[in-house]
Amino acid sequence: MEGVAIENLVKAFGATVAVDGLSLAVAPGEIYGLLGPNGAGKTTTLRVLAGILTATSGRVSVAGVDVAADTQEAKRRVGFLTGTTGLYARLTARELLTYFGRLHGMATDRVAARIDWIAQTLDFTALLDRRCEILSSGGRQRVSVARAVLHDPPVLILDEPTVGLDVLATRFLRDFVRAERQRGKTVIYSTHYMAEAELLCDRIGLCYRGRLLAEGTPAALRASAGAAAPASSLEEAFLTLVASFERAPPGAASPS
Amino acid sequence: MSRGAGLSTITLVYRKELRETLRDRRTLMVMILFPLVVYPLMSLLLAQVMASKASKGAAHASQVAVSGPPTEAAALRRLLSLETKSFAVQSGGAVTDVESGRLDALVVIAERGAAANAAAETTTTTTTGSPATGGSRGARPVTIVYDETRDGSAQAHERLEKVLAGVLPAQCRPAFAVSDRSVAPGSQVGGYLLSKVLPLVVVVMVMLGAFYPAIDITAGERERGTLETILASPVSRVHLMTGKVLAVATLAAVTGMLNLISISLTMVEGMRLMGGIGEGLRIPWTRTFAALTMVVPSAFLFASVMVAVGAMARGFKEAQNLLTPIYFLCITPAMVAGLGGYELTGVALVAPVVNVTLLARAIVLGTARIGPALLVIASTLVYGALALGLAARLYDSERLLYSDADDRRLSLRDWLRRLAWGAEPARDPSSAARPNINTTTAADALLLFGLAYVLMFFLFFPLQARHPQLGLLVTEWVGLLGLVAIYARATRRTLRQVLVLERPAGRALLGAALCGLSAWAVLGLLAQWIAPAPRELIENLRRQILPPGGRSLALTILLMAVTPAICEEALFRGPILRGLATRVSPLAAAALTGLLFGLFHFDLWRLVPTGLLGVLLSLIAWRAGSIVPSMLAHAINNGCLVMLAQLGLDERAETLGTAAEVALFATAVAVLATGAALVATSPPARGPSGGSSRRQKE
Repeated sequence: MEGVAIENLVKAFGATVAVDGLSLAVAPGEIYGLLGPNGAGKTTTLRVLAGILTATSGRVSVAGVDVAADTQEAKRRVGFLTGTTGLYARLTARELLTYFGRLHGMATDRVAARIDWIAQTLDFTALLDRRCEILSSGGRQRVSVARAVLHDPPVLILDEPTVGLDVLATRFLRDFVRAERQRGKTVIYSTHYMAEAELLCDRIGLCYRGRLLAEGTPAALRASAGAAAPASSLEEAFLTLVASFERAPPGAASPS
Repeated sequence: MSRGAGLSTITLVYRKELRETLRDRRTLMVMILFPLVVYPLMSLLLAQVMASKASKGAAHASQVAVSGPPTEAAALRRLLSLETKSFAVQSGGAVTDVESGRLDALVVIAERGAAANAAAETTTTTTTGSPATGGSRGARPVTIVYDETRDGSAQAHERLEKVLAGVLPAQCRPAFAVSDRSVAPGSQVGGYLLSKVLPLVVVVMVMLGAFYPAIDITAGERERGTLETILASPVSRVHLMTGKVLAVATLAAVTGMLNLISISLTMVEGMRLMGGIGEGLRIPWTRTFAALTMVVPSAFLFASVMVAVGAMARGFKEAQNLLTPIYFLCITPAMVAGLGGYELTGVALVAPVVNVTLLARAIVLGTARIGPALLVIASTLVYGALALGLAARLYDSERLLYSDADDRRLSLRDWLRRLAWGAEPARDPSSAARPNINTTTAADALLLFGLAYVLMFFLFFPLQARHPQLGLLVTEWVGLLGLVAIYARATRRTLRQVLVLERPAGRALLGAALCGLSAWAVLGLLAQWIAPAPRELIENLRRQILPPGGRSLALTILLMAVTPAICEEALFRGPILRGLATRVSPLAAAALTGLLFGLFHFDLWRLVPTGLLGVLLSLIAWRAGSIVPSMLAHAINNGCLVMLAQLGLDERAETLGTAAEVALFATAVAVLATGAALVATSPPARGPSGGSSRRQKE
């Protein structure tokens, strides 16, 4: 299918199992939030999706391309952005964008046109010819986002993209993600800020110890977690689910 | 805060930092292993190279001729002929013979009438006298014509000067006023001088030029957080690394070329400043620029190697720690080749680093030929491509990102495995368990080797130099066996447990004996065919076995066969082999033990045969589950060599024809294979508990 499909993904590093049989599907025009504490397996899952890590077992496809079968093609269809993404400090924004655009196989003139258009859209035209090392964190964030969407990928993978950003930059990023959804992009958004996920995502998957504990719309998740009344927040719903997972025998809590 | 509290805080921080730093294996390598192990090895290497050069020169009699008035010339010829080892006196010769290389030097005695004037005019003279020419009326001018750009000719000049000066009583009045005349043209001398410095400096500078860029684009990428982005781009690792390597190679090549040009210009300026001495010296510019081409393959090779190493590092500091030893490792062969006296032939053509150094020199000297030059360039590019392939394997997102994620240190085993195969590190949960004090660990093995190595170099070698026999006994029994005994005591075990001194199966003993009977022949012939040791080294070994003062056969056997079989085996096939085997496969442990065993003999010529013997003995000890068979094989192997020397058969063996050598080799291989098969199929040794002690780990 188009969008993103993960079936029974397992990723082990030697004896450590980081992702343990995770399955999910995201449709085009949908923002899917992957939530969970540190070490839940979110980053590993997204790295497998982005073709950086190879799955130990299971199937992963992005925009109709099997990642394991054609990793390079899959990479072309993904825009990958993390909160810790660095920029080449001694390149200007334009040089950096040109470099990545060309790495994605875009023609020189198309890259130049895209850069101008994106810089206008994201409002950083004035920064284009400055070196990345002198940009403010907001400026860097804009360049990073531009770098991720430069080749106009159908799938966006955003791994904790708001880490370390101020309120304004965070707001800008959310607006940008919503706009991409409007344009029919498939967005996977990982975060451990529950409130942010609730605000932005159409559906949410709760990740814990390499498994998906539950998934659904924010409201459905709150409702399913509360025994009598719906949980008051996503955070509370998550804590309830984790507690019941810890009590249940291994394997029983898997939603798939 | 009180002063006491401040001090205790400082102490606390100091101890924590010290502990933390000392737990970093790589820091330890650079800090301890490198200076203690590599420097002795380098000095040894240099000393051996110098010695072999000197002996090569000594063995070669200089081709000389004398011209001038018949009586004096005949007298000087007779004088020179007495020194049969130094001179081969030709009946006649001219300056052109020196130029063409037929003669190493020509002594020209001036005609009688010219004597007084010429003596007075000579500027750079070595004055001496000779009763043979009976001259009390004044010094007779003698000119030594030679070619200072040829080592052999320069040596002939030195010898002639010595002879003309040395044989005479001091009170004699000088009869010869010796002056020198080099037939080499100015540009050749300039090229010669340049050839001595330039290749080495180029290699050193190209490497230095590659050093920081290599770190910056590998470890630096990781440190700045751009790694994940680049790995998420649709670009293959091989392409990525090739681009990186080429960038580094370019920077390195530019560094090298700038240095080369700068050295040449410096020499020109230096000659001008020297005035009289430097006058007439010219830089052969065409050849110097031709030598620039060597910068390109060297830059590619060094860039690939350094990027490969940088790709393994997680940060700048670690990359520096890893690259520093590599830097010295690459410079050593360049230094050896730069010393001169080596020709660009045989193995040197494909020896990495050595070959480019020699070719650069040959180009500057104008002696390079196209065939060998192409081979050198091609082999260097192949090595570079191999290193590049390794770099691409090592720049593996699985490893780079996973170790980012959980900060796991790559174990020595994983690191070696990755270096060899680029495989994903396999984790063995049992190996992570805390080591039991009752088993030897790999760290113990390396520590024991390091201790023995350092003791050997700094304590026992000087002792052996003074007291050969006693020194050897003390080294082996106190230094090696004693060390193992202390180790056993320190780990609260018996020596028998540490050594795995078990009763072996009869079959294993028989096999080991056959291995001992044949190994020396197989390894000796292989070494002779592949890299024959220099004559004086063989003579030296023979002198150790048969000292000039004479020694009983029983004592020789005790000293040269029984003692090493017990003591060297105790250390190497005891804790070193068993310790290493807890971290790597038995085969890898045997290979590593062999390498350490080879290194321990402090002899580069014997490194490979001794190392291979070490591997064989390790495999025997491992398969048999006991140290006894390896001791037996070692004793028999050494015993055979002693007997050969005793009976004078070793000298006779040198005159064997190729057919006889091949026949001996084939027989020895057959015996060795039979022995090895017997050991391999033998039942395991009986330990005190009655169980097998073959596989401690399994």
